[in-house]
Amino acid sequence: MNREELIQYLQDKFQDKIELLDTGKVEPMFLIKSRENLVSFCRAIVDDPQLSMDFLCNLAGIDTGEHFEVVYNVASIRNKTRFDFKVVMDYDGAWVESIKEIWPAANWYEREVWELFGIDVKNHGNLKRFLLPDDWDQGHPMRKNWDAPDFKRMPEF
Amino acid sequence: MGVIKQVPAIVEKFPGGGIVATSLDWVLNQSRASSVWYLLFGTACCAIELMATGASRYDFDRLGMIFRATPRQADLIIAAGTITKKMGPRLRLLYDQMAEPRYVIAMGGCTCGGGPFYYDSYAVEKGINHIVPVDVYIPGCPPRPESLLEGCITLQKKIKKQKMQDWS
Repeated sequence: MNREELIQYLQDKFQDKIELLDTGKVEPMFLIKSRENLVSFCRAIVDDPQLSMDFLCNLAGIDTGEHFEVVYNVASIRNKTRFDFKVVMDYDGAWVESIKEIWPAANWYEREVWELFGIDVKNHGNLKRFLLPDDWDQGHPMRKNWDAPDFKRMPEF
Repeated sequence: MGVIKQVPAIVEKFPGGGIVATSLDWVLNQSRASSVWYLLFGTACCAIELMATGASRYDFDRLGMIFRATPRQADLIIAAGTITKKMGPRLRLLYDQMAEPRYVIAMGGCTCGGGPFYYDSYAVEKGINHIVPVDVYIPGCPPRPESLLEGCITLQKKIKKQKMQDWS
């Protein structure tokens, strides 16, 4: 399945759940229209033998300055295909559903997203710190508006 | 430690005792400075330079310096590399476990003052003097083995100038 076929297949199969984004990148990027559909979408792309996306390459949080995003990069080792999808949400009440039951690799990535961005991960069950000190009490440092007494922002040149 | 503090005072009471105390200082300092065993503590790129310094081309051993893997047998801790805030308590713990008198060399820009992570970083400690007292700072990113050798010779000079009363 080449890139165009993959895009066509995904759009046909999940037309009510996802939307193709024009990023100009090699891997197609999709937007999950509603974050409630995330888990069912992930389950479907793993179980579908045509797709068989068996490898979660990465899971990352983004603070764009206007809203949060959580980006998932998945690949199929068997079919040699890969694509990305993301969930967009507002600052208030930011949460995503955990997908660690589908890809166990998501476990630590989701903890990282929770720790650094403050995005709640529902049904994760083990949201513990591992990047920041145990007694960290200065908020979520990867947020755009984060600040701390000893944090120095690079001056504008 | 109390006895060691007392020794020079007792010796001074005897006529000409100053000579004995000074000689004792000299002997002790010479032996301490010539066998500074440093703790194996490298965290980033500086550790590679530290390894190079220990290898045959630069040969740390000629200063009498060999690394120890336990803080209890080390006089010196060379903090070689980026020290993050999460690592800080561990560094302090290792330092506390070392026997006195003990010394600290801050090797490289990150350890001295945050280095390239000074700006826009939430994780890196901006200088390990916030955690442990530093005896010698070695600038550079990373410093070459020659710089480290120079730093160690500087430390040896410092050790040779010390008196037993100064030992805390």
